[in-house]
Amino acid sequence: MRRFFLKRSTFVFLFFLFTVHCSLLTASYAVEPPQRIVSLAPSMTEILFALGLEHNIVGVTNFCDYPEEAKKKPKIGGMSNPSLEAVVSLKPDIVLMTTDGNPKEFEERFHSLKIKTYVFKERRLLDLPHGIRNIGLALGVKEKAESAAKEIEEAVSKYKKYKGQGKKVLFIIWPEPLIAAGPNTLIDDAINLLGAINIAQGATASYPKYSIEDIFRQSPDVIIIGKGHEDMRKLSSRLLKRLSSVPAVRDNEVFYASDNLYRLGPRVIEGIKELAGYLNEKQSRE
Amino acid sequence: MRNKAESREKNMKVRLITIGIAAIAIFVIALFIGPKTINPFNISEIDREILLSIRLPRVIVSVLMGMALGASGAVLQGMLRNPLADPYILGISSGAALSAAIGIITGLTFWGMFTIPLLAFVGALITGVFVGIMGWKRGGFLPERLLLAGVGMGFLASALLMLIMSISTDEELRRATLWLFGDLSLSDWSIIPYGFIFITTGVVISLSRARALNTLILGDELSHSLGFSPRRERFILFISIGLMTAASVSLGGIIGFVGLLIPHIGRFIFGSDSKILIPVSALGGGILLCIADLIGKSLLSPMELPAGIITAILGAPYFLYLLRRKDVLSI
Repeated sequence: MRRFFLKRSTFVFLFFLFTVHCSLLTASYAVEPPQRIVSLAPSMTEILFALGLEHNIVGVTNFCDYPEEAKKKPKIGGMSNPSLEAVVSLKPDIVLMTTDGNPKEFEERFHSLKIKTYVFKERRLLDLPHGIRNIGLALGVKEKAESAAKEIEEAVSKYKKYKGQGKKVLFIIWPEPLIAAGPNTLIDDAINLLGAINIAQGATASYPKYSIEDIFRQSPDVIIIGKGHEDMRKLSSRLLKRLSSVPAVRDNEVFYASDNLYRLGPRVIEGIKELAGYLNEKQSRE
Repeated sequence: MRNKAESREKNMKVRLITIGIAAIAIFVIALFIGPKTINPFNISEIDREILLSIRLPRVIVSVLMGMALGASGAVLQGMLRNPLADPYILGISSGAALSAAIGIITGLTFWGMFTIPLLAFVGALITGVFVGIMGWKRGGFLPERLLLAGVGMGFLASALLMLIMSISTDEELRRATLWLFGDLSLSDWSIIPYGFIFITTGVVISLSRARALNTLILGDELSHSLGFSPRRERFILFISIGLMTAASVSLGGIIGFVGLLIPHIGRFIFGSDSKILIPVSALGGGILLCIADLIGKSLLSPMELPAGIITAILGAPYFLYLLRRKDVLSI
């Protein structure tokens, strides 16, 4: 009995220590927002810029190319293989990561190096405002985040009323091999929001290797080809020739999009607007 | 005659001492140069952190992995009497990759950071045991059988791996791909003790059976008449290889070249006595992987290139050069 009591009291004591420790941590956190931020994803970098934190960014990935000033920030490597040495030598107060592209192991590795991390878990259009608000809280820019989130929410509710007339859309990420934007992607969310149908939404993968046969079967009304590092017009010419009898190609409803919908960040508003334009192109032409 | 033997022995000693000193020098150099050179006489707080928590574990992991691959390659080529054998030919790496990828995709985290290495280790062991069962006939391992069982299992496991990767929706798969090329960037102290235990055990076992391995190279009959049981020896050696390969795969994924060609380079320079070849291959593997990782992380810094690619680019030309210069080849 006595031994049991002793054991329990030790446990209670440890628990007490743990809670004190935790509250101390949160307390110190609330007082001082992080000054030196490393971003491990292009979308995080864009959000940081939108929140007016550009002067606090001390490191970004090699892929962070928007806005233009982001390119001038010190680089820490790729998204799936950032250089730990590079991150540590930048002495960050916090490292911003996403679950969409950054391996989970890095979060644990940063933890063991005693570097604080913030992991952005949101991956869908409708969750973005919530994610931005949370980042704002963590980085001490609550008001800015609130207005950025509001802006997105307003755009979303505005375009919800948009009539995409159930147009069938195929969003091509890469023509050869043919990769389409499938379900559970930001692009799919935007197409659905606008009342159109993503013909690749039944695929098993988010970015499936798509079958040309299926394009003929589904006969999309609009084909959108995303932005790449190369000339997409040239790259896609052979594919489009093969698809010449598909309604979208036949009726000249093929569009070359920007990369606005490739990243879950503030540019989604532009992306949705752009997409709506493509869906409406014919009407405005006529 | 005696003089000649003595001078040969002396010559060998000089070579061994040279490779030993080279190894130590390279390990120390790898700690201080890299994407950013650290001045050993003026170490700042950040430098110390980088040195102790990032570079040192990474150098140790690369050396351990290189040692395991080099040593098990040397053992395997001898025991199967096949110059093309390497630790991965037994399908162990594909099995490990398959089970690690399943872990990555299903998001298993029952053991935190250890989950994926542990899964890789278990996958490697299961594949190893399975290949062992397939290669076992008439009370022992038959070299050709073992080899073919390994190749067959390897194909099966990598086909399943490709299947999983092509239907998977998870972006974590990018990580899995990286892992397939060998990636040391996440090397951490926590896993080193386990890797160290398994790999040194493997090296010690194979070293203790070096004399038996020498006779196995000559053929089963000769080995038998020299007082060794070929089946028993092959079984023991198989276990040591399994331990080393599994541990190395779980430390940092799949690194090609080292296991196949380092033992040959060792043979070119030091001859084919297993007592010397095993430690030399281990050391050579460690050196090569350490240099390869150093180059991989420094060349396009901060972009990290997988060490597995660099090992082959560095090692293959040297191997071909030695091959051209030699008249007689032996296992």
